[in-house]
Amino acid sequence: MVSTRFHLVLLALATAAALSATGCGEADAPPPAGREAGRQPLRILSLAPNLTEILFAMGLGDAVVGRSTYCTYPPEALAVPAVGDTLHLDLAGVIRAEPTLALLLTRRTEVVRRLEGLGIRVAAVEADRMDQLREAIRTIGTETGRPDAARALLAQIDADLAAVRRRVAGLSPPRTLFACPMTVGSARILVAGRGTFVDDLLTAAGAENAYPDRADWPTIGPTRVVDLGPDVVIVNAATKGPADRQDTIRRAWNALGSVPAVEAGRVHILTEPYLTIPGPRVGRAARLLAETIHPGLADEEPAP
Amino acid sequence: MTPHPLTVRRYVLTTLAGAAAWLVVAAVAVVVGGRLWAWGSAAQMHDVLWLRLEWVATASAVGAALALSGLALQALLRNPLAEPYILGVSGGAGLAYILASLFVSVVAAPAVAVLGALATVALVYAIARRRGRLEPYTLLLAGVILNAFYGAAIMLVTAIVRPEQRGDIAVWMMGTIGAFGPQWPLIGAVAALAVAGGGLFAFLAKGFNLVAAGEDTAGALGVRVERLRVITFVAASLLAGVSVALAGPIGFVGLIVPHVLRMLIGPDHRRLVPAALFAGAAFLVLADLAACLWEGATNRSVPVGVLTAMCGGPFFIYLLRTRWRKRMAVR
Repeated sequence: MVSTRFHLVLLALATAAALSATGCGEADAPPPAGREAGRQPLRILSLAPNLTEILFAMGLGDAVVGRSTYCTYPPEALAVPAVGDTLHLDLAGVIRAEPTLALLLTRRTEVVRRLEGLGIRVAAVEADRMDQLREAIRTIGTETGRPDAARALLAQIDADLAAVRRRVAGLSPPRTLFACPMTVGSARILVAGRGTFVDDLLTAAGAENAYPDRADWPTIGPTRVVDLGPDVVIVNAATKGPADRQDTIRRAWNALGSVPAVEAGRVHILTEPYLTIPGPRVGRAARLLAETIHPGLADEEPAP
Repeated sequence: MTPHPLTVRRYVLTTLAGAAAWLVVAAVAVVVGGRLWAWGSAAQMHDVLWLRLEWVATASAVGAALALSGLALQALLRNPLAEPYILGVSGGAGLAYILASLFVSVVAAPAVAVLGALATVALVYAIARRRGRLEPYTLLLAGVILNAFYGAAIMLVTAIVRPEQRGDIAVWMMGTIGAFGPQWPLIGAVAALAVAGGGLFAFLAKGFNLVAAGEDTAGALGVRVERLRVITFVAASLLAGVSVALAGPIGFVGLIVPHVLRMLIGPDHRRLVPAALFAGAAFLVLADLAACLWEGATNRSVPVGVLTAMCGGPFFIYLLRTRWRKRMAVR
């Protein structure tokens, strides 16, 4: 009796496997979509905020059929259904969106494999540094069959950054610390190390990163901050928090009276979310940093 | 029964030796920990020493509170595995702290955490009290269950907040000395409570000793066991709760310090209470100094709670395998 039921289960499993195998076969029937994106309508699943921004900036907003929960810019992106994120991917939502191409940041192999198992072409890119961002935009151009749009976006970003560089040319670069305080009580802060994307932005904005080592967002305590003695501090408080969060941050910095930035009143708390998003708004981020770090600039005629 | 009867002289000596040891450790931690960093200008020296002083004060208050709390709970529950967080207080305070700092108010977060601890104490008490009595087993079970519930709730919060906040919660849950911004009033409150708790437990120490010999015996000898249980449970939980509000859950201090002291100076709680006060303070100050030296050497900061657990665990096993066994053999 038990063995009969066991065999029935086996049979059911085998049937299901066979059915799903044929299903896969059918989906794979046309040779791998490859570069022929032009043939079938392009339906893109974008699983990172900066990738969604890049797609919209390249004029591919209409082709985006799914996004991660954190893709909230540009505002039009909010009309696209959200399917969780790469940690908790809503597979039913993905299937409903019927994407043909999935873009994601990390090379999380299980996510890539799962999406490919659904017959979706996957392009995983890196965009943690400025050079990787350029490469990512080029890759997106190739994968979507829009290399011209990618080139135009790259040119736009270069023009934005060049405009900022021109404005800060000749100004002496103050030693600037870019810090992200923890949102749940701890004295430690994350700072932008050399080689990060924000480090590139600081350089473009006419500043020198006060953190001297090549590192990817190290955690440091206040004694190290005193030791580093930055001339300017940019506090990134983009993450939404209680109303008194900014006051707390301000008070914590004011306790470090020996830091030149504190002494000179050059601790700036910024809440613009695009400061740490490696996407089309990097020029805007560099401009904001430049105008914050060099207060004289804001009064000048802004670059066109 | 005790090999050396307690005299006033021995009591005073233990207390003074503990106080002296803690003061020396604290002074070394301020100076050595501070010396790592730039003393380029008087202003920098002032900032660094002031920060070190604040952190050493935090570590002292939290270490003393945790060691006393652990000592009292081990006596109350007659269980060597009891530690300050076993009755669910750290979970209640932690959940309240995390929710407050993410959504309500950063400044009020420690106060909210104390409220969370108080609510947990009331809840555990309500669950564990049966027919007018507080049973140690029921108390333990209630604490363990509430801890599991709070742990799940913290995981739920971690799962629904933004990705960058997940890391912040995890770091706080490791236990850190030093919050963002000066915390002197809170440090003062925790230190005052630790000293008051030390005084209270010193007063109850004789009762702890008798309860260790058996609760019926203690009752027959005139100890009001039920009253002892309630007072100890509430006081120990409060100490653990305020220490979580100040430094997050720092593991192992409340477990290891009382046990090491028992091995060193014997089972008499009249000497153990003042010893735990100072040894707990000194132990956590040393751990904080080690974290500070680590940061100086590697330029990366390490949460002190991770250090106490990583060093405390192996050290505890060593003691268990060597000294404890000998002591057991003697008995």
